Amino acid sequence: MKQSKKWMIILGVFIAVSGLLLSLRIWSDRGERKTWSLVYIPKTMDGTNDFWTSLMAGVKMAAKEYGVSVEIMGPDREQDVERQNELLSEAIEMNPDALLISPSSFTESEELLKEAKSRGIPVVYIDSYTKDEIQDLTVATDNLEAGRKLGEYAAGLIGEDSKIAVVCHVKGVSTALEREQGFREGLGDKAENIVEVVYCDSMYEKSYSLTMGLLEKYPDLKLIAGLNEYSSVGAARAVKDCGAENRVKVVGVDSSQEAVGLMEQGIFQGIVVQKAFKMGYLGVKETVRMLKGEKVGKNTDSGSELVTPENMYASEIEKLLFPFDSI
Amino acid sequence: MTKEKEYGRILGKFRSIQSAIFMAISVLVLCAVIIVTAVSMRYTRSSIFENSVVYTRTIIHQMTQNIDSYINYMDNIASMIAESEDVQYYLFSQNESSEYRKRLLSQYSTVLNSREDIRNLGILCEGGSYLFNEGIQVKNPYLDLEGQEWYQNAMASEEESSLTSSHVQHVIQGERPWVITLSRRIPNNLNDSSSGDGVFFIDLNYSAISELCDENSIGEKGYVFILDENGSVVYHPQQQQLYNELQTENIDIVMNAESDTVITSNSDAGKLYTMARSEKTGWTIVGCMNVGELLKNSRQAQSVYILMAAVLVVIALLLSSLISRNITLPIQRLRDSMAKVQEGDFETADVEVVSGNEIGSLTTSFNVMTHRIQELMEQNIYEQKEKRKSELKALQSQINPHFLYNTLDSIIWMAEGKKNEEVVLMTASLARLLRQSISNEDELVPIGQEVEYARSYLTIQKMRYKDKLEFQIDVAPEISNIMIIKLVLQPIIENAIYHGLKYKESIGLLIVHGYAQDNHAVLEIIDNGIGMDEETLEHIFEKHKVNYHSNGVGVYNVQKRLQLYYGSDYGITYKSRVGEGTMATITIPMNQEDAHETI
Repeated sequence: MKQSKKWMIILGVFIAVSGLLLSLRIWSDRGERKTWSLVYIPKTMDGTNDFWTSLMAGVKMAAKEYGVSVEIMGPDREQDVERQNELLSEAIEMNPDALLISPSSFTESEELLKEAKSRGIPVVYIDSYTKDEIQDLTVATDNLEAGRKLGEYAAGLIGEDSKIAVVCHVKGVSTALEREQGFREGLGDKAENIVEVVYCDSMYEKSYSLTMGLLEKYPDLKLIAGLNEYSSVGAARAVKDCGAENRVKVVGVDSSQEAVGLMEQGIFQGIVVQKAFKMGYLGVKETVRMLKGEKVGKNTDSGSELVTPENMYASEIEKLLFPFDSI
Repeated sequence: MTKEKEYGRILGKFRSIQSAIFMAISVLVLCAVIIVTAVSMRYTRSSIFENSVVYTRTIIHQMTQNIDSYINYMDNIASMIAESEDVQYYLFSQNESSEYRKRLLSQYSTVLNSREDIRNLGILCEGGSYLFNEGIQVKNPYLDLEGQEWYQNAMASEEESSLTSSHVQHVIQGERPWVITLSRRIPNNLNDSSSGDGVFFIDLNYSAISELCDENSIGEKGYVFILDENGSVVYHPQQQQLYNELQTENIDIVMNAESDTVITSNSDAGKLYTMARSEKTGWTIVGCMNVGELLKNSRQAQSVYILMAAVLVVIALLLSSLISRNITLPIQRLRDSMAKVQEGDFETADVEVVSGNEIGSLTTSFNVMTHRIQELMEQNIYEQKEKRKSELKALQSQINPHFLYNTLDSIIWMAEGKKNEEVVLMTASLARLLRQSISNEDELVPIGQEVEYARSYLTIQKMRYKDKLEFQIDVAPEISNIMIIKLVLQPIIENAIYHGLKYKESIGLLIVHGYAQDNHAVLEIIDNGIGMDEETLEHIFEKHKVNYHSNGVGVYNVQKRLQLYYGSDYGITYKSRVGEGTMATITIPMNQEDAHETI
């Protein structure tokens, strides 16, 4: 009698506990996860710039897929450091779960970013970074590698003593520094042929006028390299307008519809394309993984690809070159 | 036999039948539930997979048909335009073409206005004539027409439309959309022209196809995608991610699958692909289901099963405890009752018969049995009592014939000596003695009567022994009405005479002294005879001490009768000292109600 009662109690408790665990498991399966709220500050929200448009599309897509909310706020012009810092202060006040930023300046945003960190907001760098290592994560193109690809390709386009000019975007910005360094490495011995490096402050017009100046200054110039979309497209426009496409070859970094058009027209000989969509997407993805406490690499390379007039409509390249946004 | 023993041993481990039954039922039910649950869980899993495959297959086939009819529709548009004479004249005629152009454009606009999923449509030939959309679009001057896949495809087939899967269309200047192109060769039927064949194309954007693919959902995370015959993606809901290398699709597995379903892995991360090939387009429509989702469904179903099993087990446990209690409760009652019977309590031993089953009949039998035992025991007690009564009677009815003979002999001698007075006295005493011993309807007599009996006896003995015996009788009147069993005093006196006084040289004195003490009636028989040593005293109540010469009753019998009747607390005690005398004390209770009861 006593024994059977004991057994019954044991069995009852066992069943009750297992039932509880089971229902807990079912319940937790349905349980909603916290939605993270992120802020992304690009260098610019300029809708005409395919690179940033594509990057933001990637950010939005990843946010949608991972169920996080992303507030994107950026200056209208790319080199507007002051405006970006204002937005950064605003973003810090919003106290997001993580702050994603593509810093326009190598040094001038560090104070604010350090403050964000001190408030416990993780900082993720996308595309560019700052002098001090403030960030928790970086998702960017390996710009050294991108520059090197461009340099190696450019080296094959010109002769031993051909003069080279470089149109850089913003002086002191990490991407500019690295791409230039990579470009020089890729050129190898021909790096000595670089006659001048100019800075267009990420403006088509300035790049255009600077290139005009260069073409005038160096009549025997053989190659112009633009290190971002503004620089290269501005330079290509200038070359086209001068009718100098047979004399001067143009290579660049970052594509746009205009750049593609210019390539079709034979002005661009090569473009190293960053994977902007992938970069934005991975920026959010890695951030979410970090917030979830998963192990993430501190630096993520989103990769780059060299596009030439020959391969631009090849299946693999066209996927990168032309944003697939038809759905 | 050995098996039964084994069962017995197993069941014997439990302290009670109830727990044994409880455990047996519980174990059986538990086993049954576990087996059924396990089987149904296994079955659930496979049936969920099968159902999903069947469901997906149906959807995919439906989708294939829809896509075929969609493409057919486009094909019809293509042939309608491509085969019209206007096209021939517009493309290949050297003459003024504005009329044909106008008619073509009106056809175009009809089509374009009715279909939002057509990105571009147009005709062109190598010679240079072209007409796109609204007629204002300009052909991309840098286009390498012969290098275009859709152009090659159209030219390769005679009169059929061909499909070119996702690609960037850059036939129109300034536009580079991702489209699917349906192209068709336009043979030059005009002989007055030197230009080659033309081509008609429709660029389809993804709105219609994605609508077709998304209209049927296959689970929360399931999706449909389309591959062309080369394994290139025609449509995929995550095409953008795929193109940006952010997602991968197991295209190789799908393209190389031997059956129309393939599963990558049975784990949560696995995917279940169901394929259908469209003959019309050559495309493969693939439905992809998340194994994790299916597993979740089956886990949910399984959870329900387990929950139900748990509930069943709980109910079974409750029921089994109830059943085992119901079965064993009568047995326990029976056991408790038996324990009572064991202790001699028959009064409350009756067990209520609850049911007519084996236990019921057992209980009935038990009740009958206990009643029978009770009856038998009562009968036994009665018989014992009767037996003792007759034994007592037998014991007391004996009158020693030697004594009778000796007395009669003494009477003869006295009669011969003409001692009339003595003869009369002795004969009267003997007559009294005989009368008292014959009248034995009553077992009990008042002490007074018993004393009178002893007096008669003593009178006879005194006359027989003449000057050798003297006696005194001194009994308190308050005990003379106390009842005592018959023939108690006389044998003790006889014993005192024959063993004490007979061997005394001088005159022996015998005193009978009766009094009440502490609710007891006490009779003392004191003689001043030779007395007894301790050894004789010890063996005085033994049976072999019956003296042939005494009246045959003996001290043993008296003691036994007294104790039979009054209990072992009462009876005779002897005190004696060699050469000084002996004192026998008979103690009986004053209040004899209780004693009567027990008999």
